[in-house]
Amino acid sequence: MTTLLDARGIDMTFHNGDEQTSVLKDVDLQLGPGELTALLGASGSGKSTLLSIMGLLLRPTAGTLEIAGERVESLSDARRTLFRNRRLGFVFQFHHLLPDFTATENVAFPAAAPAGGLSDAMRRRARELLARVGLEDRMDFPATRLSGGQKQRVAIARALMNRPELILADEPTGALDRASADQVLDLMKEVNREDGATFLICTHDEHVAARCTRRVTLRDGRIVEPTAQRPPPAKREAG
Amino acid sequence: MFAFTVARRYLFSNPLQTTLLVSGVALGVTIFVFITALIQGLAILLTAQVTANSAHVTLEPATRIARVLGGQGVDTEAVALVSTFQRQQIREWSSTVALAKQQPSVATVNPQIQGSAFLSKGEAAAPVSVTGVDPEGLDAITPISTMLVGGDANLEAGGILIGDRLAGDLGLSPGQPVLLRTDRGVERLLTVQGVFKTGVQAVDERVAYMSLSLARPLFLLPEGVTNIEIKLVDPQGARPLAAFLQGATGLRATPWQDKNLSLDDALTAQAQTGSLIQLFSLVSIIIGIASALVLSTYRRRSEIGIMRAFGVSGGFVSSVFILQGLMIGLIGGLAGCGIGYGLCRLLAGLTRPDGTPMLPIAPEQGGYLAAMVLTTVGAVLASVAPARSAARLDPLDAIQQ
Repeated sequence: MTTLLDARGIDMTFHNGDEQTSVLKDVDLQLGPGELTALLGASGSGKSTLLSIMGLLLRPTAGTLEIAGERVESLSDARRTLFRNRRLGFVFQFHHLLPDFTATENVAFPAAAPAGGLSDAMRRRARELLARVGLEDRMDFPATRLSGGQKQRVAIARALMNRPELILADEPTGALDRASADQVLDLMKEVNREDGATFLICTHDEHVAARCTRRVTLRDGRIVEPTAQRPPPAKREAG
Repeated sequence: MFAFTVARRYLFSNPLQTTLLVSGVALGVTIFVFITALIQGLAILLTAQVTANSAHVTLEPATRIARVLGGQGVDTEAVALVSTFQRQQIREWSSTVALAKQQPSVATVNPQIQGSAFLSKGEAAAPVSVTGVDPEGLDAITPISTMLVGGDANLEAGGILIGDRLAGDLGLSPGQPVLLRTDRGVERLLTVQGVFKTGVQAVDERVAYMSLSLARPLFLLPEGVTNIEIKLVDPQGARPLAAFLQGATGLRATPWQDKNLSLDDALTAQAQTGSLIQLFSLVSIIIGIASALVLSTYRRRSEIGIMRAFGVSGGFVSSVFILQGLMIGLIGGLAGCGIGYGLCRLLAGLTRPDGTPMLPIAPEQGGYLAAMVLTTVGAVLASVAPARSAARLDPLDAIQQ
C-alpha cells in the first residue's frame, strides 16, 4: 500500500519552566491514501497534539514526518504555511467561520487569500462544494445566519476548497447534536469515498469511530491499538 | 486586492466603533488644520502690518570697513581709515534696478535718495528724513497718495509732501512755502504739495517726500542714489532675493526680517509652538488608531488563527491590519481637512463692528497636504505593531482559545 502520511518516532515534550510534560512518546503512524481513520483516546491522551503535528501546526520534539513524499517536520514557517494551504485541510470542533463573510466567501477564502483575489473559478468551485454539502440555498448567507450544523458543513467545504490530500478533523462533531453530527459524518464519508480524500478524525466518541474504516487509539502518549485496517461497516447506523 | 476586501469588511463590521475611531482622527486633523491656519494667518497679518509701509529688501552701498595695512618689511602697523569725504552712493543704480526687475519674485523697485534736513517756517523748525523718489514710483513702497489728507501727490510740480503731525508742528498746510536745509548745507524754499497721514507717528512727524530730480541738487548727488527699495510678491522670499542681489551686485542687501529681528523671533517661536501642538495632535491620532487596532486584533484572534491554520500567510494577515490603518487615516484625514477648512472659513468670516476679522485666520494655509500625508503615514505606522502581532499569532493558540 502507498503511504500518504508516514510518522516515525514522534516525541512531543512541553516545557514549562523546569517542568517537562511528555505528551507523545515514540509514536509511529502511517496513513494510506483514501483511508478514513479515527484517532481515539481519552482527554489528555495526546490525540489533539498528534493531530496538530500532522497538520504542521506544531513541531515535534523528535521524530520524522513525511506527507505525500515530502519530509515536513523541519520545514521553515513559510514553507509549512504554504504546505498547509496546498496539501492539507482542517475541520475543527468549532467551525471558526469568518463572521463578516458569506458562506461562499468563507469556503473560497483558503484559495482567494494567497491568490490575492476571489476569481470566478474560485467562486464557482466554492458554490459547487456548498451544493455538495447541501447548502445550495445558503450560499450567499452571512456566516452568522447559519445554524451550528450548517456552519460545520461550510467548514468541511472550506477544508476541501484546495483539493487537499489529507484532511485533519479535530472533534468535528463535538459541538453538534446527534442529527447534525450524523449529517457531518455522512458528508465526510461521502467525500472520502467519492474523492479519495484521506481523513484523520480525532475523537473520543465511539459512535464517530465506528463510522470510520480504521481506528488508532492513544493512551498516555503511546499508540496502544494496533493499526490494522478494519473493513468498513456494512450499513450506516441511524442517528 | 483580497486583503483590501477583508480589511474593509473588518472595518465596517462595527459601524459605531469605526465611526467613533474615524471621528477621533478627524478631530485631531481638524485641530491640526485650525492651528496651522491660525498661525499662518497671524504670521501673514503681522508681516503685512510690518512691511505695509516699508521695503521687503533694501539695497545700500557696501559698508565701508577700515583695512589693516601689513606685509613684509612693514615695521609699523598701519590702518587705512574709512573715507567720509565722499557720500556713499549707488552709482550704477539703473543696471541694478533692471536686474531686480527681472526677478519673478519682485513686484516693484524704487531707487531713492534719502537724507536728513531741517524744515523751518518762521521761528519754528523740525528735523525731517527726506526721501526723494521717482514721482511715478511714489506709491511703490508706501501708498502715500492714498493717505493724503490735504493737497495732492503731484511731485512733478517740485513740491514736498509732509506728514500731518509735522504740518501741525510747523503750522503748514498745502500751498504754503517752507524752507528746507539739508545736511549738505543746501537751502531751498519749497511748496507744501500735500499732507499725508499714515497713522504711524514716527512717519507722520519726521518724513517728507519729494521728487528724485529735486533731491539730487539738495543732497549733492547728481548721478547716484542712496538706496534701492524693493517690494516682493511674497514677503517670505526676501532672504533668498537679498542673498542673490548682494552676491550679484556687491551692494549690501537687507531683508525686512533683519530689520525686524524681534518679529522674526516671535514668528519663529509661534511656528514652533504650532508645530508642538500639531505633533501632539498627530501623536493622539496614532495612539487612538493603534489602540483600536490592538483591540481588533485581540477580538479576531480565532479568525486570524484559522486563517493561519489553512495556510494564509502572515504577510496577508499583516496587510489586512495595515490597510485598516491606511483607510482610517485616509477617511479621518479627509474628513478632518474638510471640517477644518469649513471651520476656518466660518471663523474667518466673523468680523468686528469696524469690519476687521475677529481672528487672523488663513483658511487656505491650513497645511492640508501635510495633514493628509502625516495622518496617513501616522495611521499606517500606528497599525504596524498590531499587524505584526496579528501575523505572529500562533494559529494553534488562537484556535484553542
